[in-house]
Amino acid sequence: MISVSTGQRDRVNPWTYVLLVALLIPFLFPLGWMFLSSLKTQVQNTAFPPVWVFVPTLSNYREVFQKNPFFTFTLNSLVVAVGSTGLALCLGLPGAYAIARFKRTGIALGILTARMAPGIGYLIPWFILFTKAKMIDTYTALILTHLIVALPLVLWVMIGFFEDVPGDLIESARIDGCTHWAAFLRVAIPLAKPGIVATGILAFIFSWNNFLFSLIVAGFKTRTLPIAVYSFLSYEEINWGGLTAAATVITLPVLLLALIVQKHIVRGLTLGALKG
Amino acid sequence: MRSLGAGWSRLVERHPVPVFTAPSVVAVALLMAFPVAYTLYMSVHSWFASSLTSPQFVGLGNFRRAFVEDDRFRNALWLTVYFTGLATALQLVLGVSLALVLNRPFRGKGIVRSIFLLPMVATPVAIALVWMMMYNPTLGVMNYLVGLVGLGPYKWVSNASAVVPALALVDTWEWTPLITLITLAGLATLPIEPYESALIDGASSAQMFWRITLPLLRPTIIVALLFRAIDCLKTFDIIYVMTQGGPGFASETLNVYTFQVGLFYFHIGYASSLLVILFALVLGVSLLLIKVRRGAW
Amino acid sequence: MRMIHRMGIVAMALALALASPALAQPQFNWQQAKGSQLRVLLNKHPWQAAIEPHLKEFEALTGIKLVAEVYPEDQFRAKVLVELTANASSIDVFMSMPAQEGLKYMRAGWLQPVDEFLKSPALTAPDYRWNDFLEKTRDAMVIEGKIVGPPIQVENTSLMYRKDVFQKYNVKVPTTLDELEAAAKALNGKAMTDDGQPGFGIVARGKRAAATSQFAAYLHAMGSTWLAPNREPMFNNEDGVKALELYGRLLRQYGPPGSENNHWYEASSIFSQGKAAMYTDANSLFPVVEDAQKSKVVGKVGYALFPRGPKGQYGSTVAAWGLAMPKTSQNQKAAWLFMQWATAKEQVLAVQSEKGVLGARESVWKDPKGMAKVPADLRESLTVGSKVGTPLWNPPVVAVAECRDAIGAAIVVSIQGGDVKAASNKAAADVKRIMAETEKK
Repeated sequence: MISVSTGQRDRVNPWTYVLLVALLIPFLFPLGWMFLSSLKTQVQNTAFPPVWVFVPTLSNYREVFQKNPFFTFTLNSLVVAVGSTGLALCLGLPGAYAIARFKRTGIALGILTARMAPGIGYLIPWFILFTKAKMIDTYTALILTHLIVALPLVLWVMIGFFEDVPGDLIESARIDGCTHWAAFLRVAIPLAKPGIVATGILAFIFSWNNFLFSLIVAGFKTRTLPIAVYSFLSYEEINWGGLTAAATVITLPVLLLALIVQKHIVRGLTLGALKG
Repeated sequence: MRSLGAGWSRLVERHPVPVFTAPSVVAVALLMAFPVAYTLYMSVHSWFASSLTSPQFVGLGNFRRAFVEDDRFRNALWLTVYFTGLATALQLVLGVSLALVLNRPFRGKGIVRSIFLLPMVATPVAIALVWMMMYNPTLGVMNYLVGLVGLGPYKWVSNASAVVPALALVDTWEWTPLITLITLAGLATLPIEPYESALIDGASSAQMFWRITLPLLRPTIIVALLFRAIDCLKTFDIIYVMTQGGPGFASETLNVYTFQVGLFYFHIGYASSLLVILFALVLGVSLLLIKVRRGAW
Repeated sequence: MRMIHRMGIVAMALALALASPALAQPQFNWQQAKGSQLRVLLNKHPWQAAIEPHLKEFEALTGIKLVAEVYPEDQFRAKVLVELTANASSIDVFMSMPAQEGLKYMRAGWLQPVDEFLKSPALTAPDYRWNDFLEKTRDAMVIEGKIVGPPIQVENTSLMYRKDVFQKYNVKVPTTLDELEAAAKALNGKAMTDDGQPGFGIVARGKRAAATSQFAAYLHAMGSTWLAPNREPMFNNEDGVKALELYGRLLRQYGPPGSENNHWYEASSIFSQGKAAMYTDANSLFPVVEDAQKSKVVGKVGYALFPRGPKGQYGSTVAAWGLAMPKTSQNQKAAWLFMQWATAKEQVLAVQSEKGVLGARESVWKDPKGMAKVPADLRESLTVGSKVGTPLWNPPVVAVAECRDAIGAAIVVSIQGGDVKAASNKAAADVKRIMAETEKK
């Protein structure tokens, strides 16, 4: 239903809220279920029909933190995510600006192919490369591998935001004698700041969630959080409580981050598509 | 010193594009160079990983084997297309419909958008494990819920014919919000005039939707479809974690099959050729969609 | 005077008693690799969990620094493979199941056999006693005539059953495959959970490759095996097809729905929740079943030898986890010291008595402390099973993972009620092709 009237304040249909709740529940349910399960014992988790009312226990969380160096995992994930995001922004922002300003979509498409390549293909070659360079189990290696996802993302989303920057503002700066670099740094960047924030957060989230690369390139000292979740599938059994507790711990930071900056992220995600 | 600085500035001024884009291009090229070279080299060789034997040149032998002899490959190819087609179709229809429904005034748009973001940003591995738990035919909550409305119990990912739809459902849950958000943004930028004239001409809501909204939204939707298609063709995490390609080989998409062949069967050469095929598939679909977007309607 | 004399005698006796252990044994130099550092890769496993607290004892004894990395199984295997393939590995010791990857790794030149280490008195303590390991476990660690390393854990495919359910419905515990099917049929659908809900007659793995190792027991009990003496696949012969049909029929008719997607995680979960009367799987899973915090059937489970076939054959399989050393290790002496220490009687006794890990030493099984944590019937079925069983829980090929998938596909077809004979023949053809491709000498 396209609302055609402009400017007027429409009366909000109360049924809208009912509809909204009905629509949102399926999207929230699995996350809610994950959280609930993390508070149950193994016996409760494997009960059928499922247990809805129960006394919550924190023992799973205790087990997760005691049996696993979760602090180390979190630190690793943080270092790698911040590192790859920062690097991607430094490398990608100038490129996105130039592509947007001078309309070089060819280069953009070229970079997109990096996104198309299957991740598995990188595993053995990178392992060989990093081993020969004695970089296995280092933060540097992990940050570089995450870059292959972050950089195309930064480029594609920021192209859209830079296109949004009014061309005449840049032009007037140039007329005033600014170099390209100065125009970029002093005019474009400040104007595109919301986009940069959005992109940075998106890159951070995708790095945080990355599983495949960390599986092979990370060593014992640099293990990241998604690996920790997977380790709950051990020889002993599927520890549902522990697993969902670990899953909750891992997703919670990104969920909170997303909630806090949702407006920026939404703009980032959608602009990448609108202008692409 | 000053001449060097001046020389550099002149370079930047004359050729801004190469200078600005060099960092990204070089970084990507460096990161991809060895893997691409390695994969292409291996794809025309046969190598059963070993320190005692070296790769043997087989020309296009791997590719011929895949398309002519290997029925597991053809199965994987079909499943990849099936999964991608099903998932993207579902997400498209659901996502756009949801956007239309949500494109009405109400308070708390921010909260709704936030909630919609959550499935997209949650860690896929964690989500896959939770869904696996929910899908368990004997102990899972999905069968309980569908039982409440008199359906099921289903075997979900344990059933060869249901597994791909069940996996597509998980992917849909995760990514429909993306389509919705993109469509909502697109709806917000639609011009008013066509609608005003249509109203004056006495068009119905449905007509306005099919004749105005959809055509205007198409470019936006196509790009969303492009990104989703690329990702679906390459989906690995959820399938590997939930079924490892099973039951039997009923959910073994090309990416999962390649992982098995390379990292569990040690056929590095053959796996490399499969990667080349998968990349060609993704590239092909992408080019098609880009053409569709640019093409005349 | 006399008291001092007596005290003197007592003192001397005491001194002698304290001194004699030191006198009795020749000294073995545990410190001969002092100062080196070992990188040990471990699979997340009950043995790993049991040995980890003791690792610092090794460091103290030998002066060798130990860096132990633990990964869950899938990631563990992928990591070991990638490292060995890149030919740039710094791994010194890793956990290995030779029947799974041993032949491949040996032929690829990745393994350092330990026969020479074992034979050398300078490198192996005199009380190590290789022959103390149960016979079939020693066999399981030998690939192409060379010893890969020492075994750390042994398990059989066995029959786990609900003693209370069998008693309640007055059914005899099966000792043959026919009795197994009859019991599954009789108990399927009968009330057996805590709250009186009905359960399944039997539960077992069905997930493609994972099911193959358990199906091996059925195959061998029926009188067939993977390969004929001339290394042609023979598991699709008449007996083999019967075994495949039985496996599928049991799960299809008396087992949980969706069995074709069940790994031991799911199967053991169903059994621990009291929802199945019988469970055929590795008896090393007993800590899962007897975990008071997670299982509802603690104390109610019996552990029996896997049923025999119609012609009297045993189906029990013997699977051993062990330690292996990559050829590329730069610290082979130190690595062997670790492998030796970890499987010496003292350590085996420790892991067995503390965590119920099923060790491979006969002397430890005879020790009351070693028996403490393990149910009596399990101990019995394990020691018998490890003597009469077959180590062929996997086909003895190079490309084990690939063949397991081919055979697993046939198992899935059987569970789903498809054409078993055709599936079996296809699997045999696939195995033959795979072997031809990967075993050229």
